[in-house]
Amino acid sequence: MFRPFTPQALLGMTAALAAMLLLPLLSTDPYLMHVMVLVMIFGIFASAWNLVTGFAGLKTFGHHAFFGLGAYGSALMSIHLGLSPWLTLWLGGLLAGAAGLLIGTPILRIRSMPHVAIVTLGFAEIVRICIANLSGLTRGEMGLWGIPQFQGFTLPIVGKVSFTPADKVSFYYLALALTVLTLFVIVRLMRSKTGLAMLAMRDGEDAAESLGVNLTRLKLMVFGLSAFIVGIAGGFYAHYLSILTPQSAVGVDLMISIIAMVLVGGLGTFSGPLAGALVLTVLIEALRDLENYRLLGYGLLIVLIVMFLPRGIVTLRERLTFRQQEQADHGR
Amino acid sequence: MNLAIFLEQILNGLISGSMYALIGSGIALVYGTMRVLNLAHGEFYMLGGYFTYYLIVQIGLAPIVAIPLAVAIAFCLGMLIQKLTIEYLIVRENWAFTTIAATLGLSIILQNAALLMFGEQFNTVPYYVSGVLAIGDIRLPWQRVLIFLVALATIGGMTWLLKYTRLGWSIRATSQDRDAAQVVGIPVRRVYMICFGLAAALGALAAAMLAPINAINPWAGMPILLKGFVVVILGGLGSFPGAIIGGLFLGVVEAVGVQLTSSEWRDVISFTLMIAVIWWRPWGVFGTK
Repeated sequence: MFRPFTPQALLGMTAALAAMLLLPLLSTDPYLMHVMVLVMIFGIFASAWNLVTGFAGLKTFGHHAFFGLGAYGSALMSIHLGLSPWLTLWLGGLLAGAAGLLIGTPILRIRSMPHVAIVTLGFAEIVRICIANLSGLTRGEMGLWGIPQFQGFTLPIVGKVSFTPADKVSFYYLALALTVLTLFVIVRLMRSKTGLAMLAMRDGEDAAESLGVNLTRLKLMVFGLSAFIVGIAGGFYAHYLSILTPQSAVGVDLMISIIAMVLVGGLGTFSGPLAGALVLTVLIEALRDLENYRLLGYGLLIVLIVMFLPRGIVTLRERLTFRQQEQADHGR
Repeated sequence: MNLAIFLEQILNGLISGSMYALIGSGIALVYGTMRVLNLAHGEFYMLGGYFTYYLIVQIGLAPIVAIPLAVAIAFCLGMLIQKLTIEYLIVRENWAFTTIAATLGLSIILQNAALLMFGEQFNTVPYYVSGVLAIGDIRLPWQRVLIFLVALATIGGMTWLLKYTRLGWSIRATSQDRDAAQVVGIPVRRVYMICFGLAAALGALAAAMLAPINAINPWAGMPILLKGFVVVILGGLGSFPGAIIGGLFLGVVEAVGVQLTSSEWRDVISFTLMIAVIWWRPWGVFGTK
């Protein structure tokens, strides 16, 4: 991870960023913008899940709890306390992060992957049922609607920026800013000493501990950070769609989509989760008529990927070049 | 609160608990022998319910024939699924995660396949026995008594199988030390397959017994899977006797909890109990360190 980015990787990142920045100049079709905003929300969620699961090796299956906490937290604070969504977005993230630390404390001491998987799933179910049952506050299964939009503002050159359902371009750029910020934080973290300690922990807990890595503290830190990021994604989702239901914001289906995205893209890579989010979301939109088969397809993808392509599509090229390299080495 | 009603609720709790015990013991069996956390376990329950429904309501078989048949089908299906997926994953590096992810994928596949095949309506089966057992003021439908008796018989049968048969010895040897078991000539791979089948059969049996009370639908698997997880956490992951005690205990705790709050908080109570147990005794209330 300390290895400097190769020129190709830097070029790829710059090209991807430029393409994303310029996309609205080519077309501001609301449907295209909507799909791309969803891609970025899922991309942020997937990157944060990948941070704990792929980089730190904590296999959690209940991250949708934090998405729901961020979404409902931010929405309810902006409705009932009258705070600006620009503020509640971060407060919702903090709420999710605090919940992450709370639920992380009992499980992360235990070095047992099944326990982590079970407890995180159970916690997400608690959050979902509470949101569904506390209908006085959240309107339960009826759905929470009328969530305030972000307030508009005026920028020097661009002019007035407003966040209304009709104007998806501003949401697009906001989502892009959040995605870039998330990726920046994750890349910086993973290229720091802490990131190296995380990888050491993933690859061998005892060895890492014997070299002075404080396992519990490191796990809690990364779990809380990841929950915080997912909470932000949830908050943005709430103010973007302005309607939430327990099933859409805290359903297991959501988690399954994210897992499928990360596994398809490549677990434990920087670009994998984003690539997976793009590929799967666009694929789903393209195959709208097959909506009934969507989850069936995700399930099949998860099984096929773990069986036949455990490192995802973004490592395909790398694997092929490795193979050539090996052959070249043998030939020498 | 009326004492008779309270006792009745406790008894009902024990009866639901006996079903939780069957579900939990299936998860414990698979985890105990192959260290695989099977997230598709709930779907065997769901499918078992559908098999029972089709055999009894659509084909018109008597329950006494239909239930063993449904359980047998689930047993074969479980073995087949294990052979096609887990078998390959378990020998690889990183198997602990890939098996969880793969069984999660399987769970989604089975759930949605059931939705496409059977539709989204809720199906029920007529009661297997009618009438009500009355002891003083306590009244229990015979159907519920039957559920409990079947659970006891099954637990007894499984205990006998694990303790006194060659298969049981192989299973226990494999769970103690896989490599050593292989060295002394136990066909570990076949033991894995049979265990997976047995777990599926236990889940299907629970569904068959509960089919007259709980409607069968494609989404029935996930909630019951989570209940099974609570049971194995209470009993200590991978412990068969622990799962039995954990199941009964969870049933009673839920019954009391529902009395104190309301039924919509039932699942919150059990999951909170689970997290509390992890905090306090991660090796299980009834497990040993």
